[in-house]
Amino acid sequence: MANTRKEIEMEREPKIGVYVCQCGGNISDHVDVEKVCERASKIPGVVVARENMFMCSDPGQDLIIEDLKSGTVDRVVVASCAPDLHELTFRNAVSRAGKNPYIYEHANIREQVSWVHHGDGATEKASRLVAAATAKAKYIQPLDPIRVEAKQHAVVIGGGISGMRAAKDLAERGIRITLLEKSPFLGGRAAQLDRLAPTGEKASDLITELTREVLNHPAIAVYTNAEVTNSEGYVGNFRLQFQRRPPDSAEDLDKIKEMVESGTEFGEFIPLVGICPAKIPEKIEEYTIEAGVILLATGFKPYSPRKGEYGFGEFKEVVTLPEFIKLMARSRRNGKVLEINGKEIKSVAMIHCVGSRQIPGVHEEDETGHLNEYCSRTCCTAALQAANTVRDTYPGTRVFDFYRDIRTYGRGQEELYERASKNRVLFLRYEPAAAPVVKRNNGSNGYPLSVKVNDTLTFGEEVEVPVDLVVLAVGMEPNNVSNLVEMMKLPVGADRFLLEVHPKLRPVEMSVAGILLAGTCQSPMDTGEACNGASSAAVKTSSLLGRGYVELDPFVAEVDLEKCTGTGACVEACLREEALTLVEMEMDGEKVQRAEVNPALCNGCGACVAVCPENAINIKGWTLRQYEAMVDMIVADDIAVG
Amino acid sequence: MATVDLEFAEQLEHFGVDTASECFNCGTCAAICPLIYEHFPRKIIRYAQLGAKDVILREADELWRCLHCGLCTYTCPREANPGELILGLRRYVIANWRGTAHVQT
Repeated sequence: MANTRKEIEMEREPKIGVYVCQCGGNISDHVDVEKVCERASKIPGVVVARENMFMCSDPGQDLIIEDLKSGTVDRVVVASCAPDLHELTFRNAVSRAGKNPYIYEHANIREQVSWVHHGDGATEKASRLVAAATAKAKYIQPLDPIRVEAKQHAVVIGGGISGMRAAKDLAERGIRITLLEKSPFLGGRAAQLDRLAPTGEKASDLITELTREVLNHPAIAVYTNAEVTNSEGYVGNFRLQFQRRPPDSAEDLDKIKEMVESGTEFGEFIPLVGICPAKIPEKIEEYTIEAGVILLATGFKPYSPRKGEYGFGEFKEVVTLPEFIKLMARSRRNGKVLEINGKEIKSVAMIHCVGSRQIPGVHEEDETGHLNEYCSRTCCTAALQAANTVRDTYPGTRVFDFYRDIRTYGRGQEELYERASKNRVLFLRYEPAAAPVVKRNNGSNGYPLSVKVNDTLTFGEEVEVPVDLVVLAVGMEPNNVSNLVEMMKLPVGADRFLLEVHPKLRPVEMSVAGILLAGTCQSPMDTGEACNGASSAAVKTSSLLGRGYVELDPFVAEVDLEKCTGTGACVEACLREEALTLVEMEMDGEKVQRAEVNPALCNGCGACVAVCPENAINIKGWTLRQYEAMVDMIVADDIAVG
Repeated sequence: MATVDLEFAEQLEHFGVDTASECFNCGTCAAICPLIYEHFPRKIIRYAQLGAKDVILREADELWRCLHCGLCTYTCPREANPGELILGLRRYVIANWRGTAHVQT
């Protein structure tokens, strides 16, 4: 049974302040905050228990700061939302009061209580969690962050517009950059476009200028045909191995052939392909580099429709939007009607949401069982841009636009939709469960295909459109970076894009410290947004490296040399190579083996704590003793909810 | 089933209609129309966009329900001028009646 009140009172009594947040009703609508405070105030060691509408607000934080400054309290417990959100906020408040930020403990009474429980039970659980936090707070020790020297060098993986943007920004800040690109060409997907929506500027101009700046910058080293083969280390001190390899993918070989045939020089832009900056390697070359930060700019690939999806792969007149953009850019102007491969195109159908916004039960999963349930965001605008290009350039070519919803969300994009209407693009709207059907035209109206749809704009009536060409506005999928994910232990979202820590509070950082995201490897975005992301990642990198050292959370393993007998059990259990080792040392004039922690590498997972037969190893800030105190308090009815 | 007529938009220009494609089918016109008659005029405008000539000629009576109050034109968010569209469609219908029933062109 639980400790009695008396036993707990025997422990040394620090001065604990408890601060309970109402979260503007989010918590106080279901938890009796006043009661939680009243109970907390009776817990031994607690000297004040206060509530506030929003503890994270300035007045809320000031309560804490004043109590610390006046010496009323020397341990802080905040009961509010999940620590993900505001633990750092409150630690910073403690710092601002001139105290060690680690004299702080957090109780989550929103996500774990008020959002999931109602009534008296909610108040009771909140009280127990607060009591447990105070029990842990008793054994809190001031800690110092681990300080590690940071290499003034960053690796950017991916030589598309995001990777190059980030490289350029960082090089301007005086940080040396190694830019690795898997293919022989710089420029990525943007280089394969014609004009960029919504501004209409030429992608080739942007890519040419940016690539020139990158290639000419003395602080940037570019390696094409390069793939990372190994990664180790931690923020400030990563070590990457990579190889330059002769290209083997059909896509790369085709592009190289095109380059040779067109007689383009290294460093020159090849329309719709990119820029090949350097000789293609003939054999494998190995490299090792050290870097303080890794920026991932690994980009996306267009969704590849299944065979038979809207006739794709069955009818040669069905193409994807990226293919159409290339076909159109390569076709010569002949006045009134668009001509592709010598054939007049009088009527084009564009179908939106191909490979995006897929619905379980409606759409077919791919071979790995995935559905792209997200909106790819860029395809509406890209399709409308292409539709306007057709109508502006070839007035004799009609465009029919089959959509689910028009999502022209950004600045200047809705105008493209309006312009398409003015340009007499005819819009037809379909429901996901009744998608348009593309079929071979058996009539003699001169059009090879027709698209049939239950058009919701015509009140669900079936409408048939005869066409020469069907263009599928395909969505975006992240490039396959499973090797990097495996190597660097990167978090991946359900949508298979790389996952940031928080979409608003830490939007370009990964949970692995020192690894940052730039561009479309993170989520579908247009060129402008990708450059935004890249520049943010660059700024974040300079702030990480700017001090010359990085600070890591001190919640890592610590060996008690008084107790350690050098069994090595912890070293065996350790999940991270080199985080825990047995070293020889002298104790009482005797050479012995003892466990030693490399704090910069330790994950603080606690696997070692569980196996030590001597209880000689603990995670700082999360000691076994603290856990025991928390558990005891949770079940101590007379204290927690008495 | 309606098959889209690719040339209809240009044909309508002869009758003074050149804003049909700007309609994005929101239905504000049908909501404001004092006739409160089914989906008038939204539906007939949609048929004009599609070029469903046979439907327009078959349901031409509807065009003469319009009181010409101008509320639809006043409220149309795309400034597609639905009131003027109805008048243009009347002219198109009359020309077609004439064409088929009286004067051969």
